[in-house]
Amino acid sequence: MRISFQQELDELEALLRVEGELVLRSLRGAVEAVCSQDVELADEVIAFDDDIDAQYFEVEQGIELLLARQTPVASDLRLVLALLKDNLHLERMGDLCTTIAKLTKLTKGLPPDETLLAGFKEMGERAEQMIRVAIRSLEQRDRVAAESLLELDELIDRANRRVVNRLLEIGHDLEVREWGLRMILVSRCLERIGDHAVDIGEQTAYLVTGEFREFTDASRQ
Amino acid sequence: MSRGLKGGVFKGLLFLSLLVGFLMLAALLVDVFQDGLPYLDLTLLTNPPSSDPKIAGARPAILATIYIGVLLLLFVVPIGVGTAVYLEEYADKRRWYNKLLEINIQNLAAVPSIVYGILGLAFLVRGIGLGRVLLAGAMILTLLVLPTVIIAAREAIRSVPDSIRQGGYALGATQWQVVSRQVLPAAIPGIATGSILALSRAIGETAPLIMIGAVTYISFDPTILGPFTALPIQIYSFLRLPQEEFKLLAAASIIVLLAILLTLNAFAIFIRNRYRRTW
Amino acid sequence: MITTTGQASTIEPMSLAEIAREHGDENVASRESVFQVRDLAVSYSGNTAIREVGLDVLKNAITAFIGPSGCGKSTLIRCFNRMNDLVPGAKVDGEVLYHGKDLYAADVDPVEVRRRIGMVFQKPNPFPKSIYDNVAFGPRVLAMKDDLSERVEGALQQAALWDEVKDRLKESALGLSGGQQQRLCIARCLAVEPDVILMDEPASALDPISTTRIEDLMHELKRQYTIVIVTHNMQQAARVADMTAFFSVDVAPDGGRRTGILVEYDKTAKIFTTPADKRTEDYVTGRFG
Repeated sequence: MRISFQQELDELEALLRVEGELVLRSLRGAVEAVCSQDVELADEVIAFDDDIDAQYFEVEQGIELLLARQTPVASDLRLVLALLKDNLHLERMGDLCTTIAKLTKLTKGLPPDETLLAGFKEMGERAEQMIRVAIRSLEQRDRVAAESLLELDELIDRANRRVVNRLLEIGHDLEVREWGLRMILVSRCLERIGDHAVDIGEQTAYLVTGEFREFTDASRQ
Repeated sequence: MSRGLKGGVFKGLLFLSLLVGFLMLAALLVDVFQDGLPYLDLTLLTNPPSSDPKIAGARPAILATIYIGVLLLLFVVPIGVGTAVYLEEYADKRRWYNKLLEINIQNLAAVPSIVYGILGLAFLVRGIGLGRVLLAGAMILTLLVLPTVIIAAREAIRSVPDSIRQGGYALGATQWQVVSRQVLPAAIPGIATGSILALSRAIGETAPLIMIGAVTYISFDPTILGPFTALPIQIYSFLRLPQEEFKLLAAASIIVLLAILLTLNAFAIFIRNRYRRTW
Repeated sequence: MITTTGQASTIEPMSLAEIAREHGDENVASRESVFQVRDLAVSYSGNTAIREVGLDVLKNAITAFIGPSGCGKSTLIRCFNRMNDLVPGAKVDGEVLYHGKDLYAADVDPVEVRRRIGMVFQKPNPFPKSIYDNVAFGPRVLAMKDDLSERVEGALQQAALWDEVKDRLKESALGLSGGQQQRLCIARCLAVEPDVILMDEPASALDPISTTRIEDLMHELKRQYTIVIVTHNMQQAARVADMTAFFSVDVAPDGGRRTGILVEYDKTAKIFTTPADKRTEDYVTGRFG
């Protein structure tokens, strides 16, 4: 029953998954660009953000239309609201990847630190993993998987703190310091991407339980 | 007086009025049955009347009543239903002549039966020269009960919800198709009931038949274009004969007449219940 | 675009090209129009019920007429199959073109019109006959000679009722539930192979589950037929309709004459997200009256 309504909901979720794939591509490109100081790749990532924005807009329009036409209630309404917020989180993630790419361009020519770059590579992989888990847990309405995002985020947070410590170690040279300050922002972007993934997980838990609860962690305090 | 008591008194008065009617009818029936039942036998039904009460019967009268009944149905149903269909389905109700028609039919139903008798005598017996025949009797009784049948048929047709007609038209049916395939079939119970009740009224009518020249004594079986009598008239003529036994024969004949009437009415009720629709 | 400024002024019908340009939707422009209504007015015994209506009804789409009671939407839909002819004193002015031909031309047979343009009513009105005879009535009166039983089964299948009644075709139709009766009426309509199905508040007498079934059915049917629906339930129009026309009641300045008018006609998505006319906005947001 309400076949066309169900179809429209399924289509919106599919659109969101596509957006997730686009963000993953963008993230991989951004991390690769920063690690190998590839300015051309950075430009591609910046241009690619338009694709993500277009997808974001399509999902948003679809949600607006669905709300106007189908007046969803109960779990359908929670799903649509969750999709609305997840859409925003994914778009923000895309913007953060773009920021990383821009910072890569800005630090062209400056001397990199291999340890930090290795750290970013690891943070990037962690973030990728978190995005995948977030999207899959939404698809499968898996609350436990969603809550596992918190632990994964903890790893990125620790890596972020290590970046700061590393910078204090190596920041004697002026150029290294300049590079380092920009890289703190890159690290921050990666850490924010992780936070957005956790937020997507929170929306999934809300969808499943009907209660909104922030995933709290002792280490945040 | 308290409300409960008032209600009780009211109920009691209603019951009393019911009782009055019921008791009078019961007294009548008991009297008739007491007198007539012993004389209710085959001779009554199969023998023609005679001056000898032992072999006298009411056969010609019974046959004539039956013939009149059949002719009546044959005449009144098509004319009555046709008129009703015209008035309900085809006529533009806002036109003056249709309004006039409507008023006249209501009035005709209230005209005393003897007036129809005079009408029959003037136009049928003398006017067109039909003579004092059974056919004339049937025709005049047709006119007598026609308004009743028209009214009953109209009610039956009106009770068919308009949504049925709309549904028929919306499918591309013509007016005639809607009337003949939807309205009339649905109205049949009402029409049948009305016709049978009209018939049972006509069977009991005496005055018009006497006016157009039904005879009081006839010993041969009636034909449509011949002289005739009818059961009510036969009863009356039995009562006028001197012998005491004829009075009892009259009572027996009354039972026959009542039996015919009750059967017809029961049939009407049966049809009404069987085909009752809930829309 | 249908726009009115303040009081009702002359409405220009929204042509397909305009709709397509408006929304950049080439699909719409390629759809032919089944009905073209131009400057239509209907009056009953001198009282104008609705006036100045102009719109195009698109093929294989569901078009909804919404609006408060008294706005003439039922009157309008009944113009499409000349059912207003049955009301004494009804007068139709203006033009209703069906595939380019004037429906009200002198040489047009209303019976033929109603064969092509079927109607389902608000209160289910099955005939007091068997289920089979109900669906077979249309083909019989129209002398459709081919296999009647096949036709009946086909129609009942299309109306998503076959499985529920296939074992009791000879039983009275009045024994079905309300939702089933309405689907029977739809089957009855489909049996004569119409081009268009008009629905005058088809689900307003039904419970919510039956309503949803009818709505799902409409989505199926629109692939083959063109559907026009009148509904007083806005959400229903939002759910099912591709195009929505909003009608309102125009009250004469002296507070007397009430006439229906077309306020806005556009894609449903637009009517329910960014309606052009304030009156439409007031109605769909429930602030009307």
